[in-house]
Amino acid sequence: MVYVQLILLTLLPSVVTCLLYWCNKWCSRSSFFAGKGKIVKKIIFGLVFGWAAVASTKLSVPLGGALVSARDACVLTAGLVFGAPSGLVAGFIGGVGRFLKGDTYTSLGASLTTILAGMVGAALRKWMFDDKRPSLFYGTAIAFVLEVVNMLLVFLTNMQNVRESFLLVESAALPMIAINGLAVLLSMLAVSILSGDFRHNERRKDRLRLAEAFSRWLLCCVVLAFVVSFLFIYGLETRLAYSDAESMLTLYIEDVRDDINDASDENLLALTRAIREEVEDLGSLNRAALVELLKKYDVSEISIIDENGIIVESTTLIYYGFDMASGEQSKEFLVLLDGTNELVQRYQTVSHKAGVAMKYAAVTLSQGGFVQVGYNSQRFQRDIDERVEGLTRNRHVGEDGFMLIANNNFNLVSDPNDHEGESLYATTGLKTEVGGEWQLTREVVYGEDSLVMYGVTEGYYIIGVMPMREVVFGRDMSLYTTVFIMIMVFAFLFLLIYFLVKKLVVENIQKINSSLEEITGGNLNVSVDVRTNKEFVSLSDDINSTVQTLKGYIKEAAARIDKELEFARTIQLSTLPSVFPAFPDRTDFDIFATMDTAKEVGGDFYDFYLLDDNRLAFLIADVSGKGISAAMFMMKAKTIIKSHADNESDVALILTRANRDLCENNEAEMFVTCWMGILDFRTNIVTFANAGHNPPLVRHKDGRFEFFKTRPGFVLAGMEGMKYRLGELSLMPGDEIFLYTDGVTEATNSRNELYGDERLEKCLNGLVGMNAKEICRAVKKDVDEFVGEAPQFDDMTMLSLLLMEKDCISLDPKEENMETLLGFVEERLEASDVPVKTIRKMSIAVDEIYSNIRLYSGATTAKVECSVLNSTVQLVFMDNGRPYNPLETKDPDITLSAEEREIGGLGIFMVKKTMDQVTYEYMDGYNRLSLRKSFD
Amino acid sequence: MEIKKTLNGNELLVAVEGRLDTTTAPQLEENVRSSIDGMKSLVFDFEKLEYISSAGLRVLLAMQKIMNKQGSMTIRNVNETVMEVFEVTGFVDILTIE
Repeated sequence: MVYVQLILLTLLPSVVTCLLYWCNKWCSRSSFFAGKGKIVKKIIFGLVFGWAAVASTKLSVPLGGALVSARDACVLTAGLVFGAPSGLVAGFIGGVGRFLKGDTYTSLGASLTTILAGMVGAALRKWMFDDKRPSLFYGTAIAFVLEVVNMLLVFLTNMQNVRESFLLVESAALPMIAINGLAVLLSMLAVSILSGDFRHNERRKDRLRLAEAFSRWLLCCVVLAFVVSFLFIYGLETRLAYSDAESMLTLYIEDVRDDINDASDENLLALTRAIREEVEDLGSLNRAALVELLKKYDVSEISIIDENGIIVESTTLIYYGFDMASGEQSKEFLVLLDGTNELVQRYQTVSHKAGVAMKYAAVTLSQGGFVQVGYNSQRFQRDIDERVEGLTRNRHVGEDGFMLIANNNFNLVSDPNDHEGESLYATTGLKTEVGGEWQLTREVVYGEDSLVMYGVTEGYYIIGVMPMREVVFGRDMSLYTTVFIMIMVFAFLFLLIYFLVKKLVVENIQKINSSLEEITGGNLNVSVDVRTNKEFVSLSDDINSTVQTLKGYIKEAAARIDKELEFARTIQLSTLPSVFPAFPDRTDFDIFATMDTAKEVGGDFYDFYLLDDNRLAFLIADVSGKGISAAMFMMKAKTIIKSHADNESDVALILTRANRDLCENNEAEMFVTCWMGILDFRTNIVTFANAGHNPPLVRHKDGRFEFFKTRPGFVLAGMEGMKYRLGELSLMPGDEIFLYTDGVTEATNSRNELYGDERLEKCLNGLVGMNAKEICRAVKKDVDEFVGEAPQFDDMTMLSLLLMEKDCISLDPKEENMETLLGFVEERLEASDVPVKTIRKMSIAVDEIYSNIRLYSGATTAKVECSVLNSTVQLVFMDNGRPYNPLETKDPDITLSAEEREIGGLGIFMVKKTMDQVTYEYMDGYNRLSLRKSFD
Repeated sequence: MEIKKTLNGNELLVAVEGRLDTTTAPQLEENVRSSIDGMKSLVFDFEKLEYISSAGLRVLLAMQKIMNKQGSMTIRNVNETVMEVFEVTGFVDILTIE
C-alpha cells in the first residue's frame, strides 16, 4: 500500500503536467488566451498545480515522523514548465495547504519550502533560463537542492530537540529527495517528449554553451572538494567520536570502580577498626587471641607490626619477624609509623608470596605500631558482592550506553537487563578474547554493534558499553549538516558563477557577436563597443581596427575593380555602334539603339552595319547571365556573327554558322538569343532569322505597333547542328521596327510586377512622329517610371529602325512641269524647317538636273524623291532616259574670260559644287542621281 | 519673275525680282535684248532676285559680251546665294559687281 502511494505521488506531477500541456496547446490554437489572457491562463495552471500539491500532501506517506510527498515537485514543475505566475500561485497554495495540515512539527519548514519552491521555480525560469523550459538535468538538480533546503529548514525550525529532528531528517532525507527529484525528472521528460525537444537535445549535445561548460567544470571541482572534505570530516569526526566514547567510557568505568573500591575500603576499614579496639582491649598480644578475632570478624589474616615495621604477632605463622620494608606491597604501610592513622590497599598480589592476592587495611595502635587486617579473595568477594550487585543497573552511558559488572568467574553481577548471576559471555554475546583493560574494542553486545571497554578492580570486571549508533550520532549529524550546507553552497556558487559568467562574459560576447554578424553581413560601419572590462575593451578595439583596415582594403580593391570594370565597360561599349546618327549620309532610314547594363558590363548586345549601299544588317542579342562572363561571351558572339555576316547574306545561314562556332568549346554552357535581319532598301524586304529571341514589334505606316511573332529557332550556342529558318517581313517607307531584350519586358517594380509585353506595346503606340532615338528614349523613360526605386536586374537593350517615308513625285519631263516639281520640293523642305538658303540651293539643283533630263535624256518618266533626315536633305532624281552619268562630264574652265567661255556644263558643275554629295548609278533601266546637302 | 526696266538716257537699269532659272531666263534675255541697242551702260539690280541657275548665268554672260562691245555692265545688290553662284562658277571675275 505504501509503495502504491509512493508511486502515485511520484507520478502525480507528470500526469498533471501532461494534461496541462495538451490543454495549453489547445488553448493557443483556440486563441482564446491571447495577450492578457496568457497571464490568466498561467494563473489557472498555477491553481491546478496548487491543487495537485495539496492532493500530494493528502496522499503523503508518514516516515520517521515526517510526511513524504511530492508537493515541492508539483510546485517546481509548475514554475519551470509553465512560467513564473503558475509557480508562484502553486507554491502559495501548496505551502498554505501544508501549513494548515499542521499535524507534525515539520509543517513550518515544509510549508516554507513549498512556498520557496514556487519562488525559486519562478525566479530561475525568468532569470536563469530566459523564460524557457530548463533541461532535465537542471530541473532534477533544482528539485534535489530544494529538498536539501527543506531538510535544513526542518532542522532549523526544530532546534529545541536537535536529536529528534536529526533522526527525522536522517530517515526522511533520502526518500524525499528521491521522490521529488524523480517526480520533476519525469514531468520534464514527459514535456520534452510531448514537445519533441527530446530528439533535438540529442543532436545538440556536442555544443555546450559557455555558462554550461563553466558550471560543468565548477560542478566537477566542487564535487571533488566535496568528496575530499567529506572524507576528511568523516575521518576526523570518527576519531573524535571514538575518543569521546573512550573518555566517556573511561570516566564511567572509573566512577563505578571508585564506588566499588570505596565500598570495599569502607568495609575493610570498619573491620580493621573494630579489630584494633579488640587488640587494644586485650592488653597483651598472643596468637590465640588473634585467631579468635580472625574467626570472630571472619577475615583471612591479622598481624601486629611494631614501631620498627617488624611483624611481631600474626595469625599466619610464617609472617613472624617479617620486615614490612622488605616488600613492595608491604612497604606502603610504613607510612602509618610516620603519623598516618589508616591505610587501605587495593586487592593485589602480596609481597611475601607470589601468586597470592589479598586486600589489606591497617590502623595505628595507641601503644605504637599498627594492626594490619587482610582479606583473601573468597572473603573479599563474599563481602563485596552484595554491595556491587545491581550497582550499575541504572547507570547510563550517554543516551543508550550501559554498564555491566562481572566477577572474576565471568558471571554477571550488575546488568541493566536483569541478567545477574548469568554468564557474561553467554548472555551478552561478548567474545572471550576481549582486548586489554581500558582498551576500546568493537563488539556486538545484546545484538547491537557497540564500543566496549572494561576496567578491573577488586576482582571485578567493569564493562562500559556504548552502541555504535550513539557513538557516531554526532559524527553523522555533522556530516549531514555539512553535506546539506555544502550542497546549498554549491547551488549558490553555481548560480552566482552562472549569472556572473552570463553577465560579464556571455552577454558581452553576444553583443560582440551581433555586431560581428552585422559586419559579416556587409555593414562595415558597425563598431563593437563593449567596455565592461579590460579584456573586452581590447577585443572591441582590435575588432574595430581590423574592420577599419578591412574597410580600407575593400575600398582599395573596390576602386581597382571599379576602374577595371570601367575599362571593360568602355571597351564593350566601343564594340557596339554608338555614334549617332550612325549613317549621317543616309536619309532613307533612321536607326538608333541603346544598351543599359544592370552591372558595369552586360551580356546584351546589338549591332548594325551596311553590307553594301542597299542592305542593312541589324540584330539584337541577349547572352544568358550577366556581368563579366556574359560580357566576354557577348564579345565572342558579336565577333563571330559579324565575321559570318561579312561573307554571307543569308541570315539563316549566318546564324547557323555562328551557332556552330559558338558551340565549340562552350564549356561555360552559356547561350545567346538573337534576332537578326537584313533590310534591302531596294525592295524594302527584311529577311530575318530568330534564335530564341523575343518577337520584335512592327508598325506599318499609319498602323499600330504589333508583335511580329514567328516560330523562333533554338538559342545560339545551345546545341550543335541547329539550323535556322529564314523569314521575310515586307516593309514600306514609313514603317518602323522595334527590337528589345527581355530586360525591358521583364523589368520589375518594387511590387514585383513585370513591365510586360502589353505595357511595351501601349507605350510604343503612344509615341507619334518620333525618330528612332526619341522612341528608344521614350520607352526607356516609361520603363524607368514603372520600375521606380526597384533595382535593375537585367541588361536592357533596344533597337529602333525607321524606314523613312520619302516624298516622291513622278512626272512627264516637260518644261511646264518644272513649276510643279519646284513647288513639290520647296513645300517639302519648308515643311521640314530647312533654311531658306538651303532651299534656294536645292531649287537651283532641281532646275539644273531637271533641265538636263528634260532636254537631253530622252526620258519619258522622271521621278524625284525628297527626304529630310538628320539635318540633311536628299534629293534623288530618276529617269528612264539614256544611261548618262553627269558626273563624268568635264568641268568647265571657270578662269576664262567672258568671250572665251563655253556655256555648257556649267549647270552640273554648279550642282557638284554646291551639294555635299552627288552620286550616280544606273539600275533597272533608270538613271539615278542622288544629291545630298546638310544644313545647320 | 518680274522685270522692271528703267531707261535713263543711254543707261538701262534692269531690276529682276524672283527666280532666274531655265524657265525665266529666256524672258529676261528677250526683254533686255530688245532694249539694249545703243546703251552705254547696263545695270542689273538683283536686290529682289532669289536665286540664279546656269540658264540665268548664260543670259548674264551673253549680256556681258554685248556690253563689252558698246559700254559697260554692272550688277548691284547681289544677295548671298547669288554671290555664291558667281563665286563657284568664276563669274565674279567676268562680271562687275558693286
